[in-house]
Amino acid sequence: MTAMPRDPMALCCAGVEVRVGAKTLLADASVHLAPGRVTAILGPNGAGKSTLLSVLAGQRAPTRGRVTLDGRPLEDHGMPALALRRALMPQESAVAFDFTAQEIVALGRYPHRRSPGRDEDAIVEEAMGLTDVSALAPRVLNTLSGGEKARAHMARALAQLWHPRPDGATRWLLLDEPTAALDLAHQHSAMRLLRAWAARGVGVVAVLHDLNLARRYADEVVVLGGASGGLMQGATAEVLQPGLIEAVWGTPCQPVTSVDGTVQYLFG
Amino acid sequence: MTSFHEMNDRFSLQRRDVLRLLGASSLGAAALPLFAQNAKLPKLVTVSGAITEVVYLLGAEAQLVGTDTTSLYPAAARATPKVGYMRQLSAEGLLSLKPDAIIATNESGPAVVLDQVRSAGVKVEIIEADHSWGEVQRKVQAVGRAAAREAQARELQAKLDADWSQVQQRVAAASKGRKPRVLFVLSHSASPQVSGEKTAAHSVIGFAGGVNALGGFQGYRPMTAEAMASAAPDIILTSTQSIEAHGGVDKFWQRPELALTPAFKKRSLITQDALLLLGFGPRMPAAIAELHEKFLVATA
Amino acid sequence: MSQRFSAQAVLGGSALLLVAAFVVGAASGAYAISLPQLWGVLTSLGQGADKSPEHLVFLNIRLPRLVLGVAAGAGLGMAGTLMQGLFRNPLADPGLVGISSGAALAAGVTIILGAWLWPVLPRTLGSWTLVLMAFGGGLSVTLLIYGLSRSEGGTRMALMLLAGIAVNALASAGLGFLSVMATDEQLRSLQFWLLGSLGGARWSAVLLVGAAVLLSCVAARSLAAPLNAIALGEAQAALLGVDVERIKRRAIVVTAVAVGAVTATTGIIGFIGLIAPHWVRMVAGPDHRVVLPASALLGAALVLAADTVARTVMAPAELPLGVLTAFIGAPMFLWMLRHFKGRI
Repeated sequence: MTAMPRDPMALCCAGVEVRVGAKTLLADASVHLAPGRVTAILGPNGAGKSTLLSVLAGQRAPTRGRVTLDGRPLEDHGMPALALRRALMPQESAVAFDFTAQEIVALGRYPHRRSPGRDEDAIVEEAMGLTDVSALAPRVLNTLSGGEKARAHMARALAQLWHPRPDGATRWLLLDEPTAALDLAHQHSAMRLLRAWAARGVGVVAVLHDLNLARRYADEVVVLGGASGGLMQGATAEVLQPGLIEAVWGTPCQPVTSVDGTVQYLFG
Repeated sequence: MTSFHEMNDRFSLQRRDVLRLLGASSLGAAALPLFAQNAKLPKLVTVSGAITEVVYLLGAEAQLVGTDTTSLYPAAARATPKVGYMRQLSAEGLLSLKPDAIIATNESGPAVVLDQVRSAGVKVEIIEADHSWGEVQRKVQAVGRAAAREAQARELQAKLDADWSQVQQRVAAASKGRKPRVLFVLSHSASPQVSGEKTAAHSVIGFAGGVNALGGFQGYRPMTAEAMASAAPDIILTSTQSIEAHGGVDKFWQRPELALTPAFKKRSLITQDALLLLGFGPRMPAAIAELHEKFLVATA
Repeated sequence: MSQRFSAQAVLGGSALLLVAAFVVGAASGAYAISLPQLWGVLTSLGQGADKSPEHLVFLNIRLPRLVLGVAAGAGLGMAGTLMQGLFRNPLADPGLVGISSGAALAAGVTIILGAWLWPVLPRTLGSWTLVLMAFGGGLSVTLLIYGLSRSEGGTRMALMLLAGIAVNALASAGLGFLSVMATDEQLRSLQFWLLGSLGGARWSAVLLVGAAVLLSCVAARSLAAPLNAIALGEAQAALLGVDVERIKRRAIVVTAVAVGAVTATTGIIGFIGLIAPHWVRMVAGPDHRVVLPASALLGAALVLAADTVARTVMAPAELPLGVLTAFIGAPMFLWMLRHFKGRI
């Protein structure tokens, strides 16, 4: 595994354990995430992917270990300050009342309400355009399909991080299974969107269940639930080897090279 | 220019006229109060059935502009405008009847509403309901005052006092033997209640020559079989409305709580209209007399 | 997609409704005051002119009642919106956190046991005894339910709902027990209190309640935007920077003070806290920045309208206000259930 250069603007966690009662959701996780990259968190069901993501987001406090951002513990930043530069797209979200898709996306601008720009409405519109939900703007969110809701929530996360921070702090876009409900075309357009944002300096971390999407679009991966119950982090091509895949997911795996040179896997 | 004599004559004429006028007006002035009284008798609102009865007895029903929901006797009282339940009066409602006085017992309310009515210039007479003969007397006096019929009120009071002392003498004379143990059951609402001390029923039983089978507590309590057995009343006293609420005398006797009482064995039940029995109104001497007779019959 | 009106239209419309209800209420009543007479009273305000009976009736009896109605409706409408936003459920109402049942229990204790338990109190506080006891009772029960719903992670709304159900049931049982011990008259008094009424409104009480509701409404303004975020779920709201625990605490305190003050003075007025926010959402959408003020305005208009009917339909007697709000509210509630069949 090539050692990743230590980045002072990193989002890291060290020795994180999350335990609820007798059940251990995550054991001894240490990752080092740098901005400007797409990192995929992978693993079988129950490996603790969502838990790791929520710990990194500051939504959940670990029972052991610490999380740091820009070298400082997450608690020191404070939730309101974090909300200005870190967005988490949830796996599923039960929205109360009949808010429209547009109103939901606009809620992404909530952290910025104290110093709104002149383009608040434009931000919401453009964010919806990026995830292809513009036509759904006036519709009640709860009446939309699973995929449409997911794209609306993704637009909300994008709206939350729309402008670069004036103090130059890196922005972090965390997504929990963003592609799970999307149809094929939207899966790929969403991943390309994430890559574009990473290219602009945003740190993108996404829990993915589709190894092929990860192989194609992620710069590096974090694999949970290995044989040792541990965690592997590294460049995608290096970590996602058939041997590891078969060991972690227990499924025979055959790599094939697609026309554009990307390696993809055949399972089963 | 008229002569002095002509002017004098004119003045004298005027003086004579004036004197005549004065004479006539002094007679007229004497007649004025009579007219004024008939035109301006105070209008009354009565809150309590017993007080309404007094108004009718004083012949002042023309002055009655409103009564409460417990004012059911005489029958004509039911046709008067109703101001609602005595504990839930409405200030504007009372004032809309333009009364000069409101006569109520101290159980009426809310107190705030009565204050509001007072501050609008209406006289509010409150009678302390202490379940004594004095209560009846106070009601008569209060109505007399408020209706500007104090003379009639004094007459009525004298008559009622005489009736009352007659009844009391009869009761005292007849109470040589053991006084019957009487228990009052109230059953207008869901669970029947029995009355202890400091209740209207307690006083009424005493006046009629009985003794309240229940003691040691004040107010009302739910009726239980054990309490009834230990009280061991000879006579059950209740209102006709309670019997109706039960669906008849037979249904009433079917109540398990009554089964262990001496009254049950002899089917000793006395019923009287609730307002007549407990109202502490002008019909009380007659009510007590009737009750006393029934006690004697029951214990014979 | 239901038709939605703009925020200005809804707020303007609600305000207009309130003004109309106020004017109709001012002109109606058991005591006949014609419009010219009413005009005369209003124009002679402030002058120490002779106080005609109409003057006294309007200023001392009808006007404080109207103002109390506005305060009651505004407090209930606002609190209903807060509770629905907090519980993330359009069926929530202020009663869930125990204010009404606590106030009712305290009222029951005062009416039925008062003279026996604290003989001194009625003499020193007079007619204020019931008001203060009811207010204290409402706050105490709310505090109890809030305390029961707290865990290490903060206040859990699911726990609050369950605690509320349990404590409300206890309060009902307490009231039932008291009813058995009560005399007929006490029972009737309690019954009337439970049905709610704006009668007997005097300026001292009205101004106090008005102040409490006004302060609560002002404090509630800052809750509107966070409640929108909380609609996404408490976890998501926290990620957006909302201090969810603080918002909950403030919402509960504001609700307790406003509804406690109103209930202590008027008894229990049902359905306003449930219906007003719902009607506003139907025409304006669920944005709390509109629903909160509009519910207050609409709630006030509803209470005034109901009270005007209550004190004129059976004049010179009065119907309890709660009976009327139930007449309007219960069928509305049933209609809501049908309308929301799939989505609650």
